[in-house]
Amino acid sequence: MIPLSSYLIVGAILFVLGMIGFLTRRNMILMFLCAEMMLQGVAINLVAFARHHGNLHGQVFTLFIITVAACEAALALALILMLYRTKKSLDVSLWQELREPGQEAILDLDEPVPELPREEPLPHLTPSGIAPPQKREDSYV
Amino acid sequence: MSDPATLLWLVPAFPLAACIITAFLGPVLLRKQSHWPTILGAACSFGCSLLLLISLHGITDFHPQFHTNALTWFAIDNFEVHFGLQADALTAVMLVAVTFCGTMIAIFSSWYMHNEDGYPRFFAIMSLFLFSMTGLVLANNFIVLYAFWEGVGLCSYLLIGFWFTKPSAAAAARKAFLVTRLGDAGMILGIMLLWLHSADGTNFKRSLDLNEILLRAHSSPYVTTACLLLLCGAVGKSAQFPLHVWLPDAMEGPTPVSALIHAATMVTAGVYLVARCSPLFVLSPVAQLVVAIIGGFTALLAAAIALTQYDLKRVLAYSTMSQLGFMFLALGAGLRDGNLIVLAASAAIFHLFTHAFFKALLFLSAGSVMVSMGHVIDMRRFSGLRKVLPTTHWTFLCGAVALAGLPIFSGFWSKDLIMDAVMEAGESTSPYRAIYLILLVSALITAAMTAFYTFRAYYLTFHGEEKIPPEAFHHAGEGHSEVAHPAHAHGEMEHPKNFEQSMAQKLPLIVLAICALFIGLASVSLWHIVAFLGRSTAFHVDKPERHTNWLMMGLSTVGALAGLVLATWMYYWRPGTANEVAARVPKLYEWSLYRFRFDELYGYLIIGPLNVWAQICRFFDAIVDGIVDLVGLSPRLLARFLQLIQNGLVQFYALVTIVFVTAFMAILVIWFGR
Amino acid sequence: MGDVLQFLAHWNLLLPLVLAAVGIWLLLPRPRNRAIVWGALCALAALILAGVFWVRWENAVSPEVVLFYAFSGMAILGGVALIAQKNPARAAVSFAVVVVNVCGLFLLQAAPFLMAASIIIYAGAIIVTFLFVLMLAQQQGFSSADDRSREPFLASFAGFVLLGSFLFVLDRTFPDPKHFSEFLDHLELAAQQRTVTEIKATLGDKDEVLNRLQREVRRYRGTEEGIKLQQGLDDLTAEWNARDPSEKEFQNALATIVDAGRKIEERNGRGNVPAANVAALGRTLFSDYLLAVELGGTLLLVATIGAIAIAHRRMERPA
Repeated sequence: MIPLSSYLIVGAILFVLGMIGFLTRRNMILMFLCAEMMLQGVAINLVAFARHHGNLHGQVFTLFIITVAACEAALALALILMLYRTKKSLDVSLWQELREPGQEAILDLDEPVPELPREEPLPHLTPSGIAPPQKREDSYV
Repeated sequence: MSDPATLLWLVPAFPLAACIITAFLGPVLLRKQSHWPTILGAACSFGCSLLLLISLHGITDFHPQFHTNALTWFAIDNFEVHFGLQADALTAVMLVAVTFCGTMIAIFSSWYMHNEDGYPRFFAIMSLFLFSMTGLVLANNFIVLYAFWEGVGLCSYLLIGFWFTKPSAAAAARKAFLVTRLGDAGMILGIMLLWLHSADGTNFKRSLDLNEILLRAHSSPYVTTACLLLLCGAVGKSAQFPLHVWLPDAMEGPTPVSALIHAATMVTAGVYLVARCSPLFVLSPVAQLVVAIIGGFTALLAAAIALTQYDLKRVLAYSTMSQLGFMFLALGAGLRDGNLIVLAASAAIFHLFTHAFFKALLFLSAGSVMVSMGHVIDMRRFSGLRKVLPTTHWTFLCGAVALAGLPIFSGFWSKDLIMDAVMEAGESTSPYRAIYLILLVSALITAAMTAFYTFRAYYLTFHGEEKIPPEAFHHAGEGHSEVAHPAHAHGEMEHPKNFEQSMAQKLPLIVLAICALFIGLASVSLWHIVAFLGRSTAFHVDKPERHTNWLMMGLSTVGALAGLVLATWMYYWRPGTANEVAARVPKLYEWSLYRFRFDELYGYLIIGPLNVWAQICRFFDAIVDGIVDLVGLSPRLLARFLQLIQNGLVQFYALVTIVFVTAFMAILVIWFGR
Repeated sequence: MGDVLQFLAHWNLLLPLVLAAVGIWLLLPRPRNRAIVWGALCALAALILAGVFWVRWENAVSPEVVLFYAFSGMAILGGVALIAQKNPARAAVSFAVVVVNVCGLFLLQAAPFLMAASIIIYAGAIIVTFLFVLMLAQQQGFSSADDRSREPFLASFAGFVLLGSFLFVLDRTFPDPKHFSEFLDHLELAAQQRTVTEIKATLGDKDEVLNRLQREVRRYRGTEEGIKLQQGLDDLTAEWNARDPSEKEFQNALATIVDAGRKIEERNGRGNVPAANVAALGRTLFSDYLLAVELGGTLLLVATIGAIAIAHRRMERPA
C-alpha cells in the first residue's frame, strides 16, 4: 500500500524537473515539452487525490488538463512554426526585441561551441533506371 | 398648444432644437443657409411667448402665473433641486422682448455675417444664447437660473470672441468672461446664503425654489448680505460700476451680437434678477440704496464717457451702460412705501422692454453703417451718410429719438416712469430720501446728456459733408475692385453703388424702428403694461394705481430737448464748436475720452499686484517643481538599475518569477510551517 | 548555530536534494566540460536516496510497491533525460517515456481511462507532431542553442529549493503513518492500565501527548472521525487537569481517541473509487461538469481555429 504522500512526492519531482527544463533549455519545442512535463506532475497529484478522497473529481480535472494541454499544443505549434519561419531557428534567445530600449542584446559570446567533427558526406548515387548525366559535347542535341 | 405649460416648454425648446440642428448639420449640409433654423426657432419661440403673454394678460387673477411640472434635476440627501419653468407677467414681458429682438437680429445677421467663415457656428451659438436666455427668464429656481445665467455668459464669451484669431477680440472675450465671473462668484455665494437661511429654523425642507424663498423672505441681518451678493452678479452681468469695464470691449464681437447680447437682452439679466428678487431687496433699505447709487452713478459716468467717444459702437455701448444704470436706479428706488415697489420695478422692466427695441435698432443701424463703410466705425472717418444709406439714416433717427426720450416716443414713457419712481422715493419717509433727491437731479442731467450724445452720433454720422472711407469700396462691394474705382477714394463721386440692397438688412431695421417709436405709447395706452407688470408675482402689494406726474414729464422733456438742441447747435448749425469747447476744458475732455481711465486704474490696482503675486508664485512654484522633479528623478535612477532585468528574454523573466515565488514559499514554509 | 543544527537535522530530506541539484546542474547541456558521468552518478544517488528516505509504504513488499518504484523511477529518469538531452528528438522520446510511466502511475491509482487518454493524446499525438516539427525545423542538424542552457545553476538551485519546500510541507502534512499507528498503540497500552498514576506514567509527558493529539485533530478537522477525536481530546485534557481524576473516565477518553484513530488509519489513502472507471467518469463529466465540458469543447474549437489562423502562410504582399 503506497500512501498519498509518495505520489505527491513523485508529482513534485516531475514538476520541478519540468520547471528547471523550461528555465534552461533554449529550444522552443523542448521548452514546451518541459511545460507538458510540469502538467504531468500536476496530473499525478490530482489523480492521487481522487484516489485518496474516493471520488472522481481529480480525474475529471486531469481530463480537463489534457484538454487544455491539447489546445496549448496546437497553438504552441502554430506559434513556433511562425516564429521559426521568421528567424529560421527554434532558439528562443533570438527573440529579445522587447527589452528596454538602449539595453544590449544578450549574446552567447562566453564559450564558443566546439566544432563537431564533420560527418563524411554520403555519396550521391545515380538513381537507378535513369541514364547518367552526360557532358555537353557528348549530347546528341 | 392651448395648455400654457406646454408653451413654457416650447419657448426654450425651439432655440435649443435650432442650436442642435445648426451645430450638427450646419457645417456639412446647411452651410450658407445655416441662418434658417435660428430664424425659425426664434420666430416660433416669439410666437409662443406672445401667446403666453396674451393668455397671461387674459387671466383676471391677481397673480397670473403658469407653472410646469418640476422634474428633479438632482437630489442630495433630502435637498432636491427641481428643474421647472414658471411664467408671470415679468417673465412674459422679458420673453417677448428677447425673442422678438432675437428674431429680428437673426434676420439681420443673415445679411451681416454672410461673408464670414464660421457662419453656422455663429448661428448655433446664437440659438444657444436664445435658449439660455429664455431659460434664465423662465427658471423657477435659483440653481436653474444660475445655470442658465452661466449659459448666457458662455454664449457671450463665444460670440465676443467670434473672430478668435483677432487678438483684441480674444482678449475682450476673456475680459468679459473674467469680469462677469467675478460678479457670479458673489451671486453663487448669495444663493448659498439664501439656501442656508431658507429653512426658517423650522423643519421646512431647504429649497431654492424662487417662489418659496421670496414668499418666506423676512427681515433679518442676512437679507442685506444676500441682496448685496446677488447684486454682485447683477452688476457684473449688467456692466454696472465697478464691473463695467468689460462692456465697451465686448464691442469687438460682431455687431448683431452687440445688439442682441450686449444691448437688448443679456445685459438686462441683472435688471431682471434684481426685479425678480425685489421682495428680498425691499426688506433691506441699505441694499436698495446701494442699487440706486450704483445705478445712478453708472448712468452719469457712462453718459459722460459717451459724450466724447468717436467709435460709433462705443457710444452705443456706453449708452447701454447708462440706460442700464437708469434701470438699476429705478429698482433701487423701490422702497417699501405704498405702491412704490410696484412702480419702481415696473418702471425698470418697462424701460428694459422699450430699451431692448430701440437699442437693438441703434446697434443694427450702426452695424449697417459699419458693413457699408467697410468695417470702419470711427465717426471721424465718415460723415453725411444720409444719402448713401437712406433707410439706415431714418431708422437710426427713430432709435435716436426713442433713446433721447423725446415726448411720445418709447424712451420717453419709460424714462419718465423711472424719474417718477425716484422722485417718489425722494419724497418718501425713507431716511435716505436726500440721497434719492440727489440721484434724481443726476438722472435729469444724465437724460439731457443722453439726448446730447445720441444726436451727436447721429449728426456726425449722417450729416455734414459726405465722406466715405476707401475701405468701403473694397470690403463691402462685391464686383467692385480697388482698381476699378480709384476716383471714389478722392471723394468725388456719384453714389457708387446701392449700399442697401438686401431685404434681410432693411426689414429688421424698419420693423424695429416702428417698434422703437410706438411700443412705449402702445404699451402704456393700449396695454397698461405698468398695471400688468404690477400683477407679477414678484410684487406683493395691492392693485397699483396709475398716476401721471406732470412735473417729471415736463422736466425730462426739457432736459431731452436741451440736449438735442445743444447737439444740433454744436454739430449741425455750427460744426467746430465742439472742438472749441473741448479745447476750453482739456482735462475734462481728455478724461471723458479716455473713459475716466478706469482700465488703467484697474491695471494699477488689480492687475499689477496680481502680476507681482503671480511672479512670486511662479518663483515658489519653481522651487516646488524642483523638489517634485527630484522626487521624479529618484525612481528614474532606481529604474536605471532595475531595467537591467528587462532584457527581453522570456526565460529570464520566468526565472525571476520562479526565484521569487520560491523565496516566498520557502519563507512561508520556514516561518509558518513549524 | 542552533538553527543551523535544527536545519541539518533534516539531513534525510536535504541530502538527496543537494545531490540532485548538483547532478542536474552537471547534466544540463553546456558547450564543454560537461561532467556527464559525475552528474549522472549524483542524480542516480539522489534518486535512490530519495526512494529510501522519502517514499513510504506499508510493511509488506507488494506488487504495487514494486510497480510504484519502477514507474516513478522511470518517469523521473525520463524527466532528467528530457532536460539533459542535447538532441531535441531524443528529448522528445524521453518525454514519451515520462508520459508512459506516468500513465503507469495512473493505472496504480485506479484511473485506467486517463491512462489510455494520456497515452493516446500525449505519446500518440502531441509528441509525434512535435517530432514532425523538429524534423521540419532542424533539417540542417542541431543549432548551437541546443548546446547551451540559460542560467543552469540558478535554475537548478531555485528548482530544488522549491522542491525542498514542497517536501517539507508534505512531511508536515502527512507524517509517516507508522508513527501514528505506533502512537495509537501507545495510547491503547495506556488505556489498559489500572490506576490513574499508571496511566499518566505510561502516557509520558503531558504537553507532548496533548500537542500531538491536537495536531492530529487539526489534520482531520471536519471529518466524522475528527469530531470524535476532538471529543476524546477534550475529555482527556479535562481529566488530566482535574483534581481527582477517575481512571474510568481516563480510559473512556483514551478509548474514544484510539477508536477514532484506528478508523482514520483504516480509511487513509483507501478511498473507494468506483470500479467501472469509464462509466463513472462519464457520469461525473456529463452531470457535475457538464458546463465545463461544453466550455472545454469550445476551447478546443477556438484553439483549432486559432492554430490554423496563426500557422496559415499568408500571401505576402509585394512592398
